[in-house]
Amino acid sequence: MIAAIFGKRRAAQQTSQDADYYTAGQFALIKARFMKKTVGLIAGSVLMGLVLLGLFAPFFSPVDPTINGADSDYRRGAPQPVLFWDDNGFSWRPFTYTYAKEQPKIDFGALLQSGNLDALDQLTSSGALDASTQNKFTVDKEARRYLQFFVKDWEYTILKIDTFGIDWRWDRHLFGVATGKIHILGTDEDGKDVFSRTLHALWITISIAIVALIVKLFMSLLVGGVSGYFGGKVDTILMAITEAVRVIPPIPIYLACAVALAQIDLTPVQRYFAIAVVIGALDFAALGRRLRTHILVERNQDYVLAAQLAGASHMRVIWRHLVPSFGSYIIVDTLINFPYVILAETSLSFLGLGLTEPVNSLGVLLQKAQDPDIQQNMIWQFFPVAVFVLLIMAFVFVGDALRDAADPYSERNK
Amino acid sequence: MTQFLAQTWLLWILLIAAGTLTLLGRTSQYFHYVRNRFLMALVGLLTVSLIVFSLMEVLPGDCAEKYIAYKSTQGETITQADIDAERARMGLDQPFAVRWGSWVANLTLNGDLGFSCAKRQPVNLALGDRFWLSFMFCIAGLMLSYLIAVPFGILSAYVLNKPWADRNPQHTTARRLLNTLGLGLAKALDVVLRIISYLGLALPNFLLALSIILLYVFAGESAPTGLFSDAWRNEPWFAEQGFQWGKLNDFLGHIWLPIFVIGWSATALQLQTVRALVVDESNKLYVDAARARGVRGLSLWARYPVRHSISPLFNSVGFDFQRVFNDLPIVAVVIGLTDAAALLIEALAMTNDQELAAGILFLVALVVISMNFITDIVLAAVDPRVRKSVLGH
Repeated sequence: MIAAIFGKRRAAQQTSQDADYYTAGQFALIKARFMKKTVGLIAGSVLMGLVLLGLFAPFFSPVDPTINGADSDYRRGAPQPVLFWDDNGFSWRPFTYTYAKEQPKIDFGALLQSGNLDALDQLTSSGALDASTQNKFTVDKEARRYLQFFVKDWEYTILKIDTFGIDWRWDRHLFGVATGKIHILGTDEDGKDVFSRTLHALWITISIAIVALIVKLFMSLLVGGVSGYFGGKVDTILMAITEAVRVIPPIPIYLACAVALAQIDLTPVQRYFAIAVVIGALDFAALGRRLRTHILVERNQDYVLAAQLAGASHMRVIWRHLVPSFGSYIIVDTLINFPYVILAETSLSFLGLGLTEPVNSLGVLLQKAQDPDIQQNMIWQFFPVAVFVLLIMAFVFVGDALRDAADPYSERNK
Repeated sequence: MTQFLAQTWLLWILLIAAGTLTLLGRTSQYFHYVRNRFLMALVGLLTVSLIVFSLMEVLPGDCAEKYIAYKSTQGETITQADIDAERARMGLDQPFAVRWGSWVANLTLNGDLGFSCAKRQPVNLALGDRFWLSFMFCIAGLMLSYLIAVPFGILSAYVLNKPWADRNPQHTTARRLLNTLGLGLAKALDVVLRIISYLGLALPNFLLALSIILLYVFAGESAPTGLFSDAWRNEPWFAEQGFQWGKLNDFLGHIWLPIFVIGWSATALQLQTVRALVVDESNKLYVDAARARGVRGLSLWARYPVRHSISPLFNSVGFDFQRVFNDLPIVAVVIGLTDAAALLIEALAMTNDQELAAGILFLVALVVISMNFITDIVLAAVDPRVRKSVLGH
C-alpha cells in the first residue's frame, strides 16, 4: 500500500490509457479510483494493520489476556518501557528492567500493643491500605531483561473446528522475556496485561460488527427485495413498518432487547451472537428502503422480464439478477456503517448490558474509563481508548474515500 | 358537556384538522397533498405505537407484580391469587390487542399516555416538563452540528478531486504558486476539520463527557454536572424581586456541556451527509452548463449545487433529531441530567417501567413524525414537483 501511495500517479495514467478501462467492472473501477486517494490509502493501511493485529492477537501479545495469564506479582503495575539505551550503556537487543513489589511497611505490632482505635483510624485514613499504595514497585535498573523474539510461551488455538476435528495450536509469540512477564502497557487491577487484552478485544469488536452487518444485510435484502419486487400491498405494509422503525431511536430498542436477553441464561459466546444479531436485525430500515427504490426501478428492465419468461422463480430473479446489479453499492454502504455498529456495541457495553467482563471487547475495556480509581491511579488503562479512536477514525476515512470512489461521476471533475 | 369535551379534546382537534384539510383539498392540489400527508403521519404514529407497545412486552415483569411487590414491602403477605386479582383489576389479563387498543384510544381521546407503575403516577405527570427539556437539548445540539457541518461540508466537497498543487502549464509561475498555496491551505483545512469532527464520533459520547468533567476536576473547579448548581437548585424562577437572572445564568452554565457533547458527535455524520449531497449535485450537468455560461467561483457554487442540496438536508431534520436523541440517554447518565432521556434509561434498564418507556419512545417518534410532516409540507409549498412525486395524485 505504501508503494501504491508513491506510485499512484503512474498507476492512474496507466489505467486511464488502457483500453480495458472502458470495459472494466464496477469493482475494478472503484479500486482504481480508491487507489488515488491519499487520505483513504493512509487510513486503509492503518485499518489493515489494526485488523491484522486483532486477527493474530495471540501471536502479537506476549501475555495470556485471560485470568490464567494474570500476573499476581504485578497488579495495577505501570507500563514497563522497552529501551535500547540507558545509563549503563547501549544494547542492540531491546531490554526492560526488573520490577519487584515493595513490601508495604505497616507496623501491626504497635497497633496491637496500644490497642486504641485512634491508631487504627489513623492507619485507614492515611491511605496506607489503599490498593495503589499496596501495589508499589521498585525498578532494578541493574537487572536488565532482554527481549527475545519468536519465543515459546502460552499455547493458543489458531483454528478450531470441532466437526472436522481440526484443532491447530501453536505456542510461539512475536516477543517475550526469559524471566517473568513483560507488560509494555501495564496491568489492570487483576494483573491482566493491558496490551494483550486490547489486541484480543480488537478482533472481538470487529467480528461482532461483521456478524451484525451480515445480519443487517440479510434483513435489508429481505425487506427491500420483497417490497420492491412485489410492490403493491406488500410494499405498502412493509414500508409502513420500515418507516415506523426508522423514527424510533435505536439505542433504547437495543436496551430493551438487551434487558430481555439478560433474563435468559446464556453463555458468553451465545450472548455475543445474540447482541450482534439484535444490533444487526433492527438496523435494516435505511438500507432496505434504498434497495427497494433501486429494485422498483430495475424490475421493469428487459433482463428481468427475460428471466421471468425463461421460467425463473421469484427468489432466483431477486438473488441472481437484481441483487448483483447493486453489489458494489451494498458493499460500500456496509463498510461505511462499520463505525456506527461498533459504537452501538460500545454504548451497550458501557451501560453494562452488552458484553461484560471477563470477555475482552473494546466496549468492556472502555467502560473501565469511568472508574475514578482508574482515572487517577492507572492512566495507562486508557490505552484501549486510543486504539478505539484510531479504529473508528480509520473506518470513517476509508468509508469516505470509498464513497467517493464508488461515485461513477467523480472522474469527470478533475 | 364540558367534561365530555375535556375527555375527548384531542380527537376533536385531529378530526377538525382532517376535515378542514379535506375541504380545502377539493379545490387545491396542495391541500390535497397536505391532507394525504397528514393521514400518512397518523398511520405512521399508529404503527409506531404498535411497535413500541409490543417491544415493551419483552421487558420482564408487569404492573401487577410491581404493585404487589410494593405492597409486600409494606408488610402484607402476598399469594399468587392476589397477583392474579390485581392483574384482572388492571386489565392485564386481557389479550395484547385489547390492551393496545385501549392504550391508543386513551391517547387519541385526550392525550393520556397511561400510568407508570414504578413511579405510581400518570406518565404525563411523571414526565412533566422533562420531555421539553430533552427536546430543547436535541434542537440545540442539532443547531450546533448544522452550524459546523454545513459550511465545512461544502468546503470539503469543493476541494474533493482537486489536486494539492496547481500544475497547469498555461499559468505563470507566480499564479501557480499562489494557486498551490490556496489549494494546499483549503485541503489542509478540510483534512484537519474532518479529523476534528470525526473525533467527535470516534470518542464515544460518554467518554467525551467524562473527560470534560475530569478536566474540571483536575483544574480544581466543580464540574458542571446536572442542570443547576446546589445554590440555585431549589430557588424558584420568579422571586419577589422579579425574574431570577442568576438562575438562568447558572442554568446556561450547565446545559452547554450536554449540548456540546451531543452536538459534536452528531457533526461527523452531518458533515459526511452534506459533503456527499454537495458532491452529488456538483457532478450534475446543470452545473457544467452554468460553468459553460461563464458562472465562476463562489457564485457558481452558491447558486447551483449548494442551493439544490439544501432541500434533502432540510428534509432529513426529523431523522437527525432522532439520531441526536439516540445519543442523549447515555450522556444524561454520565452528566447526571434529570430529563426525559435519563428517565428512559431508568425505566428501561433499572425499573423495567414499560408504560413510562413506551410513553417517552412514543413522544420521540411523535416529534420525528411531526417534523417530517412539517418539512414535507414546507418543501411542497416551495417546490411543486414534490406534491406529485410522493402520492402520485
